[in-house]
Amino acid sequence: MTWITKNWTMVGIIQGLIVTMKHILRIGNRPTVTVQYPYQKMKVSPRFRGLHAVDEDACIGCGICEVNCPNGTIQIVKYKTRWYPQVNIGMCMFCGLCVDVCPMNAMKMTGNYETADYTRESLVYGPDRLLFKKEVKQ
Amino acid sequence: MFANAYELIVFTLNYIGIYEPVNNTFKTLGIEYVLRIIIVLVEIAILFVFALLTIMFLTWMERKVVAMVQARYGPMVTGPRGLLQPVMDGVKLIGKEDIIPAKADRWVFTLAPFLVFIPALLIFIPLPFGESLIISDLSVGLLYLIAISAVSPIAILLAGWASNNKYSLMGAMRAVAQDISYTIPLAISAIAIVLFTGSLSTVEIVTAQNGTWFGFIPKWFIFLQPLGFVLFLIASIAEMGRIPFDFQESEQELVAGFFTEYSGMKFAMFFLAEYAHLFSVSAIVVTLFLGGWSFPYISLLPAALVPLVSLGVFLVKTYAVIFFAMWLRDTVPRVRIDQLLSLGWKIMIPLALLNLLVTGFLLTVGVFQ
Repeated sequence: MTWITKNWTMVGIIQGLIVTMKHILRIGNRPTVTVQYPYQKMKVSPRFRGLHAVDEDACIGCGICEVNCPNGTIQIVKYKTRWYPQVNIGMCMFCGLCVDVCPMNAMKMTGNYETADYTRESLVYGPDRLLFKKEVKQ
Repeated sequence: MFANAYELIVFTLNYIGIYEPVNNTFKTLGIEYVLRIIIVLVEIAILFVFALLTIMFLTWMERKVVAMVQARYGPMVTGPRGLLQPVMDGVKLIGKEDIIPAKADRWVFTLAPFLVFIPALLIFIPLPFGESLIISDLSVGLLYLIAISAVSPIAILLAGWASNNKYSLMGAMRAVAQDISYTIPLAISAIAIVLFTGSLSTVEIVTAQNGTWFGFIPKWFIFLQPLGFVLFLIASIAEMGRIPFDFQESEQELVAGFFTEYSGMKFAMFFLAEYAHLFSVSAIVVTLFLGGWSFPYISLLPAALVPLVSLGVFLVKTYAVIFFAMWLRDTVPRVRIDQLLSLGWKIMIPLALLNLLVTGFLLTVGVFQ
């Protein structure tokens, strides 16, 4: 009985209804927070650790990244007469140690997070998919 | 005007000039009743299609309203603004495997979804969709509505019991407890309306709300029965099993309640029934308290337009109540089971009885005429 004597006006419920009605009518600054994902993408932060990328000219194939990888993800393989890292992102935990230890600053991590695939084999990213050429600024 | 949709169809056929020759052909064959049966079947088909389209639209509308409240988009990809989403859902559900648990009671398990769905459609029969747009104007219409809506707890209990799963059984038990405890205030606050109209027929309840006071306030029962309206609305939302009172589902506590084990089309039947319930219960609220299809000055319109306009008025009012139910769902969290039962038994039933008492007293004294 105390419940009804205290709450018979239903102030709390009415206040809540007003809040949700403001959302429905878009009163105040209430932008839509979700995006239409496959068509629109959210901006990732600049230090987001996504898929790896290796600078083709800077990489010397020294293998320090291979040594430092905690999961043993990286292997140095031969590609077009030179040696480059190959990353198995199925095992990678995206810690970024390979980027930190690279003496030539050749390795970096891009913001690419759409790496899902159908087979485990296709998760092994060879140099053909990792390498990029730095565009020299004029 | 016409008593129901049957007479309206006969009148329309007469107006085009088809009815007489067709009727004569059937008469010469000695099977006039076949024509009657055909017309009734056409009516039922129209009602069934209307009900299914409404249900599909409601599933879309529910998601859109929830999305608006939560600052999301909701369905957007299939069709313009995601309007084809219900169709895609149907395709998906038909394609799913129909699983019956190994230790479930097979027959009861299969029967339960139909037992939920058929009463939800039967409720549509005495609903007055507009002037002369009613399948059958039952003299016990209101009683019929309350009786039919009392069938669904049995089916829910069957579903929960046959699943052979403790969460399903608990959900079913809770649903039945809730339905029983909220049907009583629902019925009592509806009786107060019957005191005003002196009839259980839904058409007479609506016609009693025709006209205005002082030329602008419509004579709806919400103004005569504000407490009854609030009680009826809360009780009917509880009957629907929507969010402040959705103990039959309660995903967080009971997985999904009584339909945990259901999949594919059987699962869809439960959801269709839920949305059919949402529409029909809102329509009952509109019929009893918000004047049904009546609207001030609707009688000034040309007579040929009245069925159409009254259908529009009825649908607008019903969708307003449905929107309120969805809006409430997005705002209020679920109450506890003991709070639910104490609200039903300790607060709503006494208040409904008080409302009935005061109404009866005022009518006897002669305040309302």
